[in-house]
Amino acid sequence: MPRYYFNLRYRPGSEGVAVDPEGEELRDLEAAQERALAAARDMIARTRTHLIRDWTACVFEIEDEDAQRVLTVPFSDAVPNADYG
Amino acid sequence: MSSIQQSTVRNRLLQRLSGEDFALLQPHLRTLQTELRQTLIHPHEPVTHLLFPEVGYASITSDVAGNRVEVGMIGREGLVGASPVLLDSGTTPYHEFVQSPGEMLAIEVAPFCAAVDESATLRKLMLRYLHTKLIQARQTAYANAAFTMDVRLARWILMCHDRVEGDEIVITHDFIALMLGVQRSGATLAVQALEGSQLIKAHRGRLTVRDREGLVAFANGSYGTTEAEYARLIEGA
Repeated sequence: MPRYYFNLRYRPGSEGVAVDPEGEELRDLEAAQERALAAARDMIARTRTHLIRDWTACVFEIEDEDAQRVLTVPFSDAVPNADYG
Repeated sequence: MSSIQQSTVRNRLLQRLSGEDFALLQPHLRTLQTELRQTLIHPHEPVTHLLFPEVGYASITSDVAGNRVEVGMIGREGLVGASPVLLDSGTTPYHEFVQSPGEMLAIEVAPFCAAVDESATLRKLMLRYLHTKLIQARQTAYANAAFTMDVRLARWILMCHDRVEGDEIVITHDFIALMLGVQRSGATLAVQALEGSQLIKAHRGRLTVRDREGLVAFANGSYGTTEAEYARLIEGA
């Protein structure tokens, strides 16, 4: 199975990213996207850290084993849109 | 025949025993080399041995519905299996396994209980130790409820640091995430936060403590209560 690296961008610039040193083996890119959304949902719901004021401003920049960006998953995709109806 | 001498043991409980109490246990101790992730106690299965860690340490985890979170840590200050045996439950709902490999001194339940029944001083020390374990569990509950992931990581690193030789802790982000009950990305963020404050240095698969005093300050009171009680009750500080 391919290994994907879930780098977490929390602010602009080279220092605003938490680089994933280990990665995770997943079936395919779709599975990687699902994994990113589940992780984002869990962090938004119950993780508090000094580094992040607004989780919905964060983005997963997913890379493959050759350090090529293969997908970008905004945390905002993990939460349903507010219903203003 | 066992050649284990009290003068050379590294386990802090065994070091504190009187010569007479150590002599009650000594013939029954045998050395066990431990491996990473080796299970020491299975949940809900009878505890057959107790283990005094000499090198390395064990994690106590709650594994419910596939969610594993660390709820306790036992190194050379402690005794794996103390609660179910001394409190006469025989089993525990938790999984206890080797988080840092090394060496432990194992003793079967029957001779351990016979020694505790025979010696009031041994029993008293063991009950005092159990009190410090209760405090550790309560402090973990407090830390989980009251502090951010970064602070909890600082506390956890300090607890590991207390139980290793030197300043290096062998650990992956995946394992930190499991222990703290957070996503792997969350563990990476917390490591980065502590590294950014020059408290630790992260390498692939390991962390180095750079500024222990800084980590204690960062832990903001989540670390230290258990350790002070241990010093007071076990080591007479």
